[in-house]
Amino acid sequence: MMESILAGADQLFTLPTMLTMLVGVVAGVITAAIPGFTITMAIVLALPLTFTMPALQGVATLLAVYIGGYTGGMISAALLGIPGTPSALATTFDAYPMARRGEPGRALAIGIWASFFGTLISSIVLIIAAPPLAMIAVKLGAWEYFALVVFALTIVASLVGKSMLRGLLAGALGLIIATVGADPLMGVTRFSFDLRMLSAGIPFLIVLIGIFAVSQLLREVEDAEEVKAGKQLIDSRISFKPWAAMREVLTYPFNLVRSSMVGVFIGAVPGAGGSIANLLAYDQAKRGSKHPEAFGQGASEGVIASESGNSATSGGGLIPMIALGIPGSAVDAVLMAALMVHGIGVGPRLIMDHADTVYGMFMAMFLAGAMMLVVCLLSMRLFLKVTNVPKSIIVPVVLTCCMVGAFALNNRVTDIYLLLGIGVFGYLLAKLDYPLAPLVLGVILGPIAETNLRRALMTNEDWTLFFTRPISLALLTLAALSIVLALRYRLKQRRQGLALD
Amino acid sequence: MSGTSSDSRPQGREPVPHGERAKAVGHIVFNLALLGIAVMMFVHAGGLPSSAWEPIGSGSFPRLMLALLALLSVLMIIKEAAKLRHTSALPSGSVGDWVWRHRLAFGVLGLFTLYAIAMPLVGFRWATLPFVLACQVLLGARRPRQLAIAAAIALFMSVGLDALFRHVFTISLPRGALL
Repeated sequence: MMESILAGADQLFTLPTMLTMLVGVVAGVITAAIPGFTITMAIVLALPLTFTMPALQGVATLLAVYIGGYTGGMISAALLGIPGTPSALATTFDAYPMARRGEPGRALAIGIWASFFGTLISSIVLIIAAPPLAMIAVKLGAWEYFALVVFALTIVASLVGKSMLRGLLAGALGLIIATVGADPLMGVTRFSFDLRMLSAGIPFLIVLIGIFAVSQLLREVEDAEEVKAGKQLIDSRISFKPWAAMREVLTYPFNLVRSSMVGVFIGAVPGAGGSIANLLAYDQAKRGSKHPEAFGQGASEGVIASESGNSATSGGGLIPMIALGIPGSAVDAVLMAALMVHGIGVGPRLIMDHADTVYGMFMAMFLAGAMMLVVCLLSMRLFLKVTNVPKSIIVPVVLTCCMVGAFALNNRVTDIYLLLGIGVFGYLLAKLDYPLAPLVLGVILGPIAETNLRRALMTNEDWTLFFTRPISLALLTLAALSIVLALRYRLKQRRQGLALD
Repeated sequence: MSGTSSDSRPQGREPVPHGERAKAVGHIVFNLALLGIAVMMFVHAGGLPSSAWEPIGSGSFPRLMLALLALLSVLMIIKEAAKLRHTSALPSGSVGDWVWRHRLAFGVLGLFTLYAIAMPLVGFRWATLPFVLACQVLLGARRPRQLAIAAAIALFMSVGLDALFRHVFTISLPRGALL
């Protein structure tokens, strides 16, 4: 083992590898910081560039893009209120309010440190627990997946905002939007109404960009006097105190570890990933907090949970890939392709046949995490200058990026029309005070829920299996508990409100 | 759309401002539309084929969700309709005032709509250049220096981004059917 570790280190700690990793981190941060451009897009664009590199250098560079991307998504979430990537959705809930009240530097610094610690914890778990965790993750059948999605759907209760009814309605809308297009099992086209742009379905990323970016930017320009006076998005002097932020993050060790473990587990479950992990970690942090009422108002605990949760999925996603050759997400599939291009077969024998590469990948995770930290700490003052740019410039520039992102996703012109339609719909929802996060959650979870429900019933028509299989039962019990606790919290809040009145 | 409610409201009720009434009307109209769409889709889903291999077919899951949406919409309509009963009608011209206050947002939305329509026709470069420029002018870039900056940004976002995607990422942004 020691020999393999040393051989991996020997390949990794070379100038060319470290240089390409550094470029990868910077590219990942920048790409993911632009609303509409995703980590998957960055990784796919970087893949051909790694073909000429040795295997470990190629994979390490892609890992660097991956880890940089998870942090980059947080930048636009904090400064613009628009998640740069789906995995930064929950980051907007608290990082943006924190930035709006004049602390954008604190929001970014907390996010960076939480991302770093999340990556670190997930790398440690990856090294120690990859094989056993992978065995648990792949033992999940359709029943357990469905139960996991039901549990994740209960997060809606935490995201509903002031009105439970409006939140549930937004969640249901998301679940219905996800049913447009090809049926996940039979391939039957549903609800396309003979429109070409609907026949391929409504891509989740188009919903995310339209709902968050377009509607948020339109809300930014509602006050004509402010905009014409050249007002910036955030009124603040640039203040960036990374060490104070690190101390603040470390004052919530339980939140940090719990959120990271949520990220590792969700990352290890094939098909889930950062987009669910950040919301689940945020939800758990809110429920476990002594001050849940501060969530959504700029609570540092919320930023820590979301950012450590999404960054930890990077290590989690590698677990089934390394242990069993099953990619947990699209990004992991690209990493797998990078290994296969170099003739390295991915599967249970990977760790035995190419131990040096696997240990090199483990070390690359640590190294990329450290590089991300240094790059972000050095460049954040530059990113913070965005807050000084007038809205008259930010709005058209970001709208153009959204348009490019929407098109580049599938190279489909019809996605541009979808973006426009979803953007207008999102603005309407925002004006009527409907929370947008449950809708996005519904779009993410809808297809997973339907596929697994139908697959479970196709395998065995017996409904009771959802309650007799132990992991499924445990997850459904957690879901029920989650709803009871959310209702109890709301009742308590209402009583407190009445008492104050 | 702010102001106080009518004196004719029932005693013991909190005054509901005009903003609340406008929102209530908005919710009712929106949820009626959702209800209509949900019913239409529910009927449509009934015609989707079922499978011999599985107990629930293509239409079952959407129908379940649509029924849930319809139920929530009805609850929302009932809740908001109750608010209407103890508020007075909106003052005349309030809708016009609201639209005027949101003129910049609607202006940007209008430009964005034109941009989306124009892109497949004239291509990314020639759609983006006027969009970014017009948007900046609409949002307040009027002085010569501001206009020069606006033009430089528009050029970078159109020609620059197009070149970056074409030559570096080998992704071809729309060329335009008319060009």
